[in-house]
Amino acid sequence: MVKAVRGVLVECEPAIKSILVLIDSENRNEFIIEDLDETHLFVKETMLHLLKQKLEERLKETYRPEEPLEDSE
Amino acid sequence: MPPKRKAPPGNQAPAAKAGRASAMSTPGPATPRSIESSAMSDPEDDDDMAINDEDISDAQKEREALMTREADQFVNKFALGDAQRRQNDGESRRIDAASHLFKKRDFSHLPLKPDHHLRPLWIDPVTCTLILERFSPLAARVTDFLITIAEPKSRPTFMHEYALTPHSLYAAVSVGMRPRDIIDTLDRFLKTALPASVRRKIEDYTKSFGKVKLVLKHNRYFIESADADVLQTLLKDPVVGGLRVHGSDTTTYAPTMGGLVIPGTQNAAGLRQANLTQPGKPGAAGAAGAAGAGAGPAAGAGAADPADPNQEGGLLANLNEEEDDDDDDKEAVHSFEISDANVETVQKRCLDIGFPILEEYDFRNDDVNPNLEIDLRPNTQIRTYQEKSLSKMFGNGRAKSGIIVLPCGAGKTLVGITAACTIKKGVIVLCTSSMSVVQWRQEFLKWSNINPDDVAVFTAESKNKFSGSTGIIVTTYSMVTNSRERSHDSKKMMDFLRSREWGLMLLDEVHVVPAEMFRRVISSIKSHSKLGLTATLLREDDKISHLNFLIGPKLYEANWMELSQEGHIAKVQCAEVWCPMPPEFYDEYLHSSARMKRTLYAMNPRKFQACQYLINYHESRGDKIIVFSDELYSLKQYALKLKKVFIYGGTSQSERMQVLENFQHNPEVNTLFLSKIGDTSLDLPEATCLIQISSHFGSRRQEAQRLGRILRAKRRNDEGFNAFFYSLVSKDTQEMYYSSKRQAFLVDQGYAFKVITQLANIENTPDLAFATPQESRELLQRTLVDNERGGEDDVETDDLFGKASRGGGRKKAGVRRTAGMLSELAGGQDMAYVEQNKAANKALKQAGGKKKGGAEGQNKFFKGIQREKEKSRARG
Amino acid sequence: MSTAQPSYQLSDYLDKLPGTTFRKLYQQPSTAFAIFRRMLPQLAKVFVQGLLYAPGPMLMSELEIWVRPEGKMQRDRALSVLRSLHVIQITPSGKDRPQELQLTTNFKNSMRLALEGGGTHNSFGVPSSLPVDPRIDIAHLDNYARKKWEDILHYVVNSVPVHGDGAAAGSGGGPKSSVKDLLLVGNLVERRHDTRAGVGITKAGFTFLLQEANAQVWTLLLQWLEAADRAKGKSDNIDMLSFLFMLASLELGRAYDTDALTETRRNMLPALVDFGLIYIPREDTRQYFPTRLATTLTSSASALRSVSSGFSAATANNPGDASSLGTTPDTSAAAKGSVFIETNYRLYAYTSSPLQIAVLALFAQLTLRFPGMVTGRLTRESIRRAIGFGITADQIISYLASHSHEQMARAAAAAGHPVLPPTVVDQIRLWQLENERMRTSAGFLFKDFESLDDYMDLSSYADEVGVLVWRSDKKRMFYANKYEQLRDYLKNRKK
Repeated sequence: MVKAVRGVLVECEPAIKSILVLIDSENRNEFIIEDLDETHLFVKETMLHLLKQKLEERLKETYRPEEPLEDSE
Repeated sequence: MPPKRKAPPGNQAPAAKAGRASAMSTPGPATPRSIESSAMSDPEDDDDMAINDEDISDAQKEREALMTREADQFVNKFALGDAQRRQNDGESRRIDAASHLFKKRDFSHLPLKPDHHLRPLWIDPVTCTLILERFSPLAARVTDFLITIAEPKSRPTFMHEYALTPHSLYAAVSVGMRPRDIIDTLDRFLKTALPASVRRKIEDYTKSFGKVKLVLKHNRYFIESADADVLQTLLKDPVVGGLRVHGSDTTTYAPTMGGLVIPGTQNAAGLRQANLTQPGKPGAAGAAGAAGAGAGPAAGAGAADPADPNQEGGLLANLNEEEDDDDDDKEAVHSFEISDANVETVQKRCLDIGFPILEEYDFRNDDVNPNLEIDLRPNTQIRTYQEKSLSKMFGNGRAKSGIIVLPCGAGKTLVGITAACTIKKGVIVLCTSSMSVVQWRQEFLKWSNINPDDVAVFTAESKNKFSGSTGIIVTTYSMVTNSRERSHDSKKMMDFLRSREWGLMLLDEVHVVPAEMFRRVISSIKSHSKLGLTATLLREDDKISHLNFLIGPKLYEANWMELSQEGHIAKVQCAEVWCPMPPEFYDEYLHSSARMKRTLYAMNPRKFQACQYLINYHESRGDKIIVFSDELYSLKQYALKLKKVFIYGGTSQSERMQVLENFQHNPEVNTLFLSKIGDTSLDLPEATCLIQISSHFGSRRQEAQRLGRILRAKRRNDEGFNAFFYSLVSKDTQEMYYSSKRQAFLVDQGYAFKVITQLANIENTPDLAFATPQESRELLQRTLVDNERGGEDDVETDDLFGKASRGGGRKKAGVRRTAGMLSELAGGQDMAYVEQNKAANKALKQAGGKKKGGAEGQNKFFKGIQREKEKSRARG
Repeated sequence: MSTAQPSYQLSDYLDKLPGTTFRKLYQQPSTAFAIFRRMLPQLAKVFVQGLLYAPGPMLMSELEIWVRPEGKMQRDRALSVLRSLHVIQITPSGKDRPQELQLTTNFKNSMRLALEGGGTHNSFGVPSSLPVDPRIDIAHLDNYARKKWEDILHYVVNSVPVHGDGAAAGSGGGPKSSVKDLLLVGNLVERRHDTRAGVGITKAGFTFLLQEANAQVWTLLLQWLEAADRAKGKSDNIDMLSFLFMLASLELGRAYDTDALTETRRNMLPALVDFGLIYIPREDTRQYFPTRLATTLTSSASALRSVSSGFSAATANNPGDASSLGTTPDTSAAAKGSVFIETNYRLYAYTSSPLQIAVLALFAQLTLRFPGMVTGRLTRESIRRAIGFGITADQIISYLASHSHEQMARAAAAAGHPVLPPTVVDQIRLWQLENERMRTSAGFLFKDFESLDDYMDLSSYADEVGVLVWRSDKKRMFYANKYEQLRDYLKNRKK
């Protein structure tokens, strides 16, 4: 029987998708409802905010943190 | 979390700490200890060298503790000063709607001088950061001054930033600037009055610096000071006082440039023509002397400088005001003699009691060491910045020890040679590799009239001495520090080196050499003066200050952008190319160990394609390309697949020469793959394009060093010529983070990295590698299999400091394993690649062998390559 | 989903007005002239000049001769602007009659009057015949206007949530509550409880802050007109708008007669005083003085720069200020721009205006402040924070470009480079893109179809009604952003 599931469609680059899938697998699959294709995921609406946060954390290792000012007062 | 830099093997975290302390304990002959404790050094965490502290005695450790306490007091003194100033100034602060954005760093209450718009300098009273308006008519002059007293921090286009640090002030004092000069000149250029706190800081930092000098005159050691009180203090000191040679106290006048002419300068040319010097008359130095610091900073600019005539003449005259009375109030210098045997004791004692000793070499009055017959060739003229840097070294007619920082390609070697031609005594040159030993000797012969017999080389292959009573020895750091397995010849040679007094020790590429190695060199070979040369006085650890202890202060640091605008080094377009990883690679990346991650982001097929595309593009433009890879596995994979020649640590000396020669002269060999052994000292002026596919973490130094490979490009002065520097990074990996960290130094020098997210029409590249998902997956599988066992260690046979950092023994094993891996590459295709590889480098060899056959031989060689290409195409 | 509305501009407002309103507006020569000066592209002005004294309608084909073939796009744009502002009328193209165009009557007459003078329309104001207090000079007016306007901007900028301990120091009383209400109505700020002022800046507010002063003034005035529309109806707003255009034609430093104004216009005065557009001496309310904010309302963009230079030169009487640095002492840096942005992302701004500093702090990390100069950097964090506020990369870039120091412009021109370092511009955009790594939309995934036909049927229907966003025939799934139509379709089909 056809089902209509409520959720959020996420469109992103493949690399970002890989990270999202990884985050999901590290968190008891709490985020992803359906892995659609290379660039699309279907995720739980209630978890979207947290997922975004975790992605941001993950991506932090790919850019340089701000340099502290010369004097760290 | 930003990625943590893993400590190199054998370099555990505590070692770094101890290393710092041990260096501090080293009685570096002439450096103030307070420098170590200053908070102004760059707290970077990543370098490959460490120092063992096993040999530190308890007594030394005790003294370190004492020094640390003293240094703390020293620093606290300043902290107190700041607190006071804040209290005092607090009332006059203006508070407005924007004040909260700056917190304590709102200095808008400082009153501007009425003519502030003519003065180009701002100062942050707390951090002593100086900000210079480069568009001011006075900018050139102020830059000359700042480079002497402060550390350049940011030098892009319009505004430059410098920092006053204990180091920089020490350097300023040691090249002869007086605290009064520094304070007055700063005040003259500042828009606001010089804050009292900064004035105090300068006075305090410079109080004890440069007051006491150790001078070797007529081969007797003298302790000198212009400050009678200081000398009295020393004489009253129970240790120093007791070591004085009685009846030796004298008073003379401070030395000046006094007729000393640095060869190769305008002045020298003038002199040769007129043949007119005024020996003995101090102050006759003329332009060469004036460029130095002796007569105060304003002198360098001189009246000739085109000051803006529209501006208020009065003020400019004031700013220009030379200290004409310098000659009149010549400083009296008091001195007493100490005996040779006690030099070290006195040095240590002086350091202990707060008067670190500066070493100067009065080579013109050294009549014990024989003179060396050497001069620059008559047509050799050195450039302005080279002259500037040397005038810092010879500012008062004596040779001071220190470090000169010039970008690659800006003629560091000529600076060293000119220094040798000025001193004209025995010279020992220390290089980082046997390849650069050869280059140094050639340069000596090229620029100077030295008798070839007087330039000897000491390497594993060659152990010559010079014929006459004195001469030049060129060797490597490892030759003179490696105490193990020394052959009879080497031993004899070392005895020879140790037994002599050298006039000048030239230390090449000082930034890559571990401090402990310097210590060993300096303690075993006696020299009167030391000149360190480097392109980047930059280390990811804080060991730069060690160099100040061991060699001397930084005498000069050139501005890269300026040299490039003047055409001395090539203009470079920098770009960072973002290469996304295919999903399967990226999935693997996310789940891999740190080691495998590095391999994967180097082997990213999109990166490979970008590399292929750029090579195609630049070869077709007529560029000669160097591709750098730190990762040996990817270096070989790339070179083999693209059928290009490569050199890494395991390449034999003769094969290297062969490859390099072809790269330079053979129109068919336009791309060369290099491991990190090519980072420094390799002189390839043909190269005009550089591609980086893998690098050493976030090393800013390596980035600058690699950029240096194309700065001397032969074609640099062609109309509109640009060299190209590409950094290929895998998107969304740690490489992005490292890449931006690596660029920090160059960016602050004014280089701009353009981010390229898409290479136009890359898909149209003929024979584009890994174009199908299938090929890409195969590449991934192969990469994983090949590197399963932890992969190759990036151990390089030529990395002469590998031993110091990784600790003996393992090195050889590494090499063997590297060699083994090559033949062990799994799978049929890989075997094929190996074959081709052999062909690529080997074909050159055969061609070289048949070189006498001329064009025919070459043709055969290329037919060979062609055949290989066709074969592989047929296979693919 | 973004509610960020682009800042409200005069052209947007005029676009919504019906032709009848224009006809009334153009009864005033000052309005016709203002529209001509401010709203028309250069080529359109040429057309108007050509048509103004033409004896009759002109043939379209004739006009085409004026423009080179490659300028066709500009010509079309000019004509379209002229038409939408009801400055010209064009006959429809017919079979036997060639197309003709001419100026609309009211516009033509008013424009002629404006140029020739004469008439009794008093459209360009009635100067006051009363004696003028000599203390009210241009400098006085400039100071007054600047203070009023900056109070408004400060109020907006200070409603940025403050980080850390240092709270913004109040800058006087701030604007009148009527102005505050207007800012609220205009959605430049919104009520919030986590800020000291009780209001927080909106995305439109950030956009507002980054605009040129002239655009800011118009944004506020138009909000005001709209509010008036809602309260009183259209009849007043024509007179209100005309009055604004009239103010723009007045002479700075001159006193005008309050009594000569219509009642509608007199009622506008208190608000215009609050905005800083006019000054009315406390002692004598029969006079009003337009300030520079008013007299430059319809100046062209290029004229504005020199106008603002006069503005700041007149008011930069702060002796402890180096913000005129790097330029000759007699001209102000503010006029030529004051901001350096270096290739290493360091930023140096010659300014002592707390307001400009606060605006810079929206997207830069500020470091040091000297008398007349501040330093800072663009960092990933600072840009991302700004983007979080709803400021776009393009706004930041255009702010930097329009405020760049003349030394930068000069160096760029000499080297043939763009004024802003391209790498910095790229990086700001890349930082913005980083924010968009995940695009999301809420909706419904349709799956578990019993047959391929069912799947094909429903997904095709979804596509037809425009709710289909993603589909996979292999997986027999599709995603739609709406549900209702599909539900109804399924129900109907079952029957």
